[in-house]
Amino acid sequence: MKIEQKIILSNIFNVALIVLIGIFAFQNLNLILTKLRFVEIADDLNASFLEMRLSEKNYFLYHDESALSDIRKKIDDTAKSIELAKDDIIRVIGEKNLQEQELYLKEYSEVIEEVRRAKSDDIQLEAKLRAEGKKLKGFSESITRLERNAVNDIISNSKRILFYSFWAILITAVVVSHFVSQRILRSLREIERQAKSISEGNFNKIEGIKSNDEFGSVIAAINSMSGELRNREEQLIQSKKLASIGVLTAGVAHEITNPLNNISMIVQTYTELYKKLSSEERIDFMNKVGKEAERIKEVVQNLLDFSRLRKPDLKETDINMVIEKSFKLMRNTIEVSNIDVKLNLDDGLLHVFIDEHQIQQVLVNIISNAVQAMPEGGNLFISTMTGKDKDFIEISIADTGKGIPPEFLPHIFDPFFTTKGEGGTGLGLSVSYGIIKNHKGGIRVESEVGVGTTFIIELPVCKSSGQNKV
Amino acid sequence: MSQYRIMVIDDEKIVCDMAKMSLEQEGYIVETFLNAEPALSRLKEKRFDVVVTDYKMKGIDGMEVLRAVKRLYPDTEVIMITAFANLDTLIEALRGEVHDFFPKPLKIKELKSSIQRALNRKR
Repeated sequence: MKIEQKIILSNIFNVALIVLIGIFAFQNLNLILTKLRFVEIADDLNASFLEMRLSEKNYFLYHDESALSDIRKKIDDTAKSIELAKDDIIRVIGEKNLQEQELYLKEYSEVIEEVRRAKSDDIQLEAKLRAEGKKLKGFSESITRLERNAVNDIISNSKRILFYSFWAILITAVVVSHFVSQRILRSLREIERQAKSISEGNFNKIEGIKSNDEFGSVIAAINSMSGELRNREEQLIQSKKLASIGVLTAGVAHEITNPLNNISMIVQTYTELYKKLSSEERIDFMNKVGKEAERIKEVVQNLLDFSRLRKPDLKETDINMVIEKSFKLMRNTIEVSNIDVKLNLDDGLLHVFIDEHQIQQVLVNIISNAVQAMPEGGNLFISTMTGKDKDFIEISIADTGKGIPPEFLPHIFDPFFTTKGEGGTGLGLSVSYGIIKNHKGGIRVESEVGVGTTFIIELPVCKSSGQNKV
Repeated sequence: MSQYRIMVIDDEKIVCDMAKMSLEQEGYIVETFLNAEPALSRLKEKRFDVVVTDYKMKGIDGMEVLRAVKRLYPDTEVIMITAFANLDTLIEALRGEVHDFFPKPLKIKELKSSIQRALNRKR
């Protein structure tokens, strides 16, 4: 359910509750008003009955005939009043009670008539009149009392219901808003985390949050944005490469011109001295030409490797074997540079899923950087181990060279960033970074000026992979 | 007649080797250096008639070699070789009184006749 719907639903619930309470309170108020009106009427009636009984007493004490006509008049007035307020009374005490009340009144009136006709002191009649008067007044008073109590009950009931409804509304509002805001905050935090990771250049899709609400749409939007960013980044890298070809051309031309010039000089000298050269010397000359041609080929190959976005050709591979091969390639350079190498390769490593040539390119690149960082010689430590996260293996290449100044560290993987002046294209580490990233691995550097530099490469292990034979 | 002394400075070993072999055919005494520093200290102890130097080198470059040579021996001729000559380099070299300026790839015959001209002028 969408968050919007949840909020609307909880609001509807609360509004309905408030409306119900309103209706309930309104009805109670009406009931109370009706009952109070009845109590008012009943009070008047009670007063009349009281007066009747007073006149009744007067009659018996003083035999005042006028007292009887007073009672008669009161009875008529009361009957009229009851008739006038009949609807209100019925509504409150019901028809049966009213009929009973009227019956008592009628009986009383009949006894009064009897008394008038008798006109003598009849003790029996007097007692009958007293009894009827008592009945009439008692009934009326008891009904009045009942209704007063009913009003009190209604008021205390309303108070209780209002009290509970207040808490119900408060709790619903608090609980619903708490859950909704928790949900919103949780999703926002996740989105914030992902956005941060995107801003750091990891254009990953957000996975693991399945949501049909507004956050589902936001996540879908972010995913499509990060996909788009990834595409753009690739385009950007490609276009940066194209833009750099201008810069590269000068370097490459220089790289090619030197061996070309060498070949030209060898050929000219060879032609000039042909007759004086021994056959060994001639072969030596031709070998030199071959080597220079090889140099040109290498330059062209590097340029191609750089400019082409080659898809890695992934195969299950033993990383130690790749390291040994790369090391063999570099052995000559390392030895003439007076560098001691210590290989410490973990035999129990899981296989990795890599393009051997690309990883070799990365290793050769980092090793030759290390060699260049130690012009006076030094130590090179190459080791492999299982990473802290068991799904990765780690390759560590540490030198005891001059180190990288801290202000350069954030830029060393940037294209065209070089500390070697004209000797470097600034592409080696940038290309290495791209290769490792394509392998879903990581590459990082730790360095201290005057102490040395360590490159750490992480590569994901091959799922369902074999292990090295120990 | 005494032999002329030629110095060749280039960071490519093959250039040095080939130039030496070829120039020695003409009867010159040839010394070669892979970089400018030892070449300049050698110049301080021995005069050369012609210095052939690469323009673009690590450390001391061809232009500095030209100035240093002219300071030491104003009548020693300097021939410069470069892969990429732009107008600014050329003008700077001319003002430093360079004798000749060759692009790479170098034509050895042209270099030889340039050296010949330089030596003739001295005579």
